[in-house]
Amino acid sequence: MSVLRLDGITRRFGGLVALDDVSLTIPGKGLSAVIGPNGAGKTTLFNVISGFMPPSAGRVHFDGADITGLPPETIASRRLIRTFQLVQLFESLTVLENVKVGCHLHTRGGLLAALLPTRAARAEEAAVDAEARHLLDETGLGAQAETLAAVLPYGQKRLLEITRALAARPKLLLLDEPAAGLNRQETDTLATLLRSIVARDTAILLIEHDMSLVMQVADNIAVLDFGRLIATGSPDEVRRNPDVIAAYLGTDEAAHV
Amino acid sequence: MFDLVAQSIISGIGVGAIYGLIGIGFCVIYNASGIVNFAQGAFVMLGGMLTQGAMARLGLPLPLAAILAIALVAGSGIVLERIVVRPLWNRGSTMFVMILATLAAQIVIERITLIVGGDQPRTLPVFTDLPPLRIFGFAVNFQFLWIVGCSALIIVLLGLFFSSTKTGKAMRACSINRDAAALQGIPVSRMLALAFAISAALGAVAGILITPTQYTAFNVGVPFAISGFIAAIVGGFGRPLGAFAGGILLGVAQALAIVYLGAASKNVAALSILLLFLFVRPTGILGSAK
Amino acid sequence: MNSLITIWANRRINPAALVLWGLAAAFVAYTFVSGGYLIAVLHFALIYTVFVTGLNIFMGFTGQVSFGHNAFAAISGYTSAVLTATYNWDPLPAGLLGLAGALTCALIVGYPVLRLRGHYLAMATLAIGLIVYEVAVQWDSVTKGYMGISGIAPLGIGRFTVVSDRALLIFLVIVAGLSLLSAAGIRRSRLGRAFVAIAGSEDAARALGIDVARYKLIAFLISAGYAAIAGTLFVHAVGFVSPEVFGLPMVVLSFTMLYVGGIGTIGGAALGAIVISALPESFRTFKDYQDLAYGAALIAILIYAPRGMASLPALWTKWRQRVAA
Ligand SMILES: Nc1ncnc2c1ncn2[C@@H]1O[C@H](COP(=O)(O)OP(=O)(O)OP(=O)(O)O)[C@@H](O)[C@H]1O
Ligand SMILES: [Mg+2]
Repeated sequence: MSVLRLDGITRRFGGLVALDDVSLTIPGKGLSAVIGPNGAGKTTLFNVISGFMPPSAGRVHFDGADITGLPPETIASRRLIRTFQLVQLFESLTVLENVKVGCHLHTRGGLLAALLPTRAARAEEAAVDAEARHLLDETGLGAQAETLAAVLPYGQKRLLEITRALAARPKLLLLDEPAAGLNRQETDTLATLLRSIVARDTAILLIEHDMSLVMQVADNIAVLDFGRLIATGSPDEVRRNPDVIAAYLGTDEAAHV
Repeated sequence: MFDLVAQSIISGIGVGAIYGLIGIGFCVIYNASGIVNFAQGAFVMLGGMLTQGAMARLGLPLPLAAILAIALVAGSGIVLERIVVRPLWNRGSTMFVMILATLAAQIVIERITLIVGGDQPRTLPVFTDLPPLRIFGFAVNFQFLWIVGCSALIIVLLGLFFSSTKTGKAMRACSINRDAAALQGIPVSRMLALAFAISAALGAVAGILITPTQYTAFNVGVPFAISGFIAAIVGGFGRPLGAFAGGILLGVAQALAIVYLGAASKNVAALSILLLFLFVRPTGILGSAK
Repeated sequence: MNSLITIWANRRINPAALVLWGLAAAFVAYTFVSGGYLIAVLHFALIYTVFVTGLNIFMGFTGQVSFGHNAFAAISGYTSAVLTATYNWDPLPAGLLGLAGALTCALIVGYPVLRLRGHYLAMATLAIGLIVYEVAVQWDSVTKGYMGISGIAPLGIGRFTVVSDRALLIFLVIVAGLSLLSAAGIRRSRLGRAFVAIAGSEDAARALGIDVARYKLIAFLISAGYAAIAGTLFVHAVGFVSPEVFGLPMVVLSFTMLYVGGIGTIGGAALGAIVISALPESFRTFKDYQDLAYGAALIAILIYAPRGMASLPALWTKWRQRVAA
């Protein structure tokens, strides 16, 4: 069963066609990856899917419904959650609070709960606290719970952003280059984490430049080049596809493909 | 009624040209630095007050007093840039902090003026003391001609400065891309000081031109600044010519509001126009410069 | 209030913060005993604590900008003043109606204003404050223009009125304390986290399902509510209102307090309000020097200590670490 379906997505910036008639389905299980050279349109694809940019043409279907043109918060409320290529943390909140914000969608408390903590409000806050701490333990940030997000080392910031997204209980998680800037060891930890997320029935759509990571974790891969979808398939199929090799020729990644 | 309306449109154009000059002052600083200087009104107030002071206390004739005042106000613009704006700029303060600091500077300058000069409203003599000309049956007084003439002259001079002098071109380069300008060896921070000086001088000229038709006092700055800001918004923030046109529009609209709604509505009308533009078309009539 | 108290207890106690709070409490106690003109200073500081706390929720927590919250203080203050002085209402219903009026206005202007950003947002809010000021000046059949309204009844419910300076002081200490506690409660709640999240990254907040426009409006309304309460307290405490009371200098003054105390911190609002009201007491007779001093102080703080006194505890922690190392 597919969870996400793109029909003929086109996105233009003035004269530039960043996405050119991209049609793609993403299965509701497992880890799919989008790869492509710099400027291929990967982030733009995420922006269109998650509602941060309307497509110039085409439709986006998620979980059986047409979500084209809906605002990002509405799309998020359907449990399609994304992260950003440049880490976007809430720097003046603690690590724990960041994850609690991730729980926003499945909690209710408003002004009244803030001013008059009734039994129900306190129970909800306690549940959120427990859930957030549990997630942090799983991603290995438990010891940093009370630290300000701003002072975390870079690798842990990346992890925190993923943890926070998980707190929103996504059906489909879009990760934009989560391994960028991570060292070898951190990347391995990330790979393990990604597999464990997938094992719990959250589908992942991953943008990644690190080919060995992609080949290691992805179940299927889509390749973008100059906004066009040039190949889809299993890692092995994509690796052998002549168009993909041509697209990567002369770039750093060519060596890894 | 028609006469009254036409007459007030004429006076609206005069006041509007003043707003336009102030609006250009906003643009000059904004283009050079991205800063919106909320102390702009202080320059307008100082222009009128210092000219009056120089005439009354030093006994200078009007032209000399005006030139002295313009020079002093330009100097105060540089001082403002040095002691308030530059330190904040260097520590990379947010735009909001910059606005707040300049607004505080406005209050400080206002209060110093109040302490030194008292709270009495003052005025200046009209530049040419002759009865109004009659043009197509309408009375046009000489101060109006002075205002329109000086504004036109200033706009031409500024245009020449930005298009044909080395410094002017450097300032324009800063407004297009500050980092690139710095890489080309343009002294960006000196350009900022110069922008404040020019903008302050523009404010002073506006203050001197308008004072003979109204009055000036320590607290006239903020309303003028707001009007100048509205002019800049209506014209598309960052476009000097747009700001001037916006000023004229605002002046006329205000004059008509006075005719139809009474003098008390003057400021409320201007502020409402501001809100209207901000809500409906924040990029101005022509679209913003950036 | 239960959870607020546990929050209080759970906080690691910082000696510098403790000293600041101790000094503030000692000042209040001393003033209560000694009486005299210092009491009026504290009245003023406590009312401003409420106002600045509200501003802090909108600006410190949510990261937005408003130069126009004096408008909501003025709307509520004038409503309450007119109803009590001209129509002989009781202060409580008059104040509540003022609050409702201010919130209604905040709702009406909030929606379009909050779509703006940067200097547009700053100027739009400034304009709202100025429009209300102009209306207060021009609508003199109701507001008595520049002259202002005097003889406004003191605070009270029915027959209980807060007349003496000391009773008013106690009352205002309670109100200011409640406003600080409620701000602390908000900060620690789902609502407050959403506010701070918006300040951190609007995109990330939206990507997690936070309706940013709605939450900004909520923050705006809450802070307008604090401002309105402060405005009403002010007119009844002083017994007089004129347009100048809620003019532009009020905006600069409240920002000075916010920044001296430390924007974004809860206690900073109270500390800033007390310090800023108490320090220039020597200038009391010269109102003009006062505004001058506030403005200059604000500029100096923005340049040299942008986090205000709230950075003292942090400095203390740093110093301790250095000594320990
Ligand atoms: N907001 C925008 N306005 C104009 N052009 C844009 C915008 N966003 C992206 N582009 C352009 O669209 C193209 C695709 O950009 P995009 O960020 O999607 O690439 P990418 O595949 O994510 O690249 P990278 O691997 O470097 O992150 C690029 O040429 C980029 O310059
Ligand atoms: Mg990208």
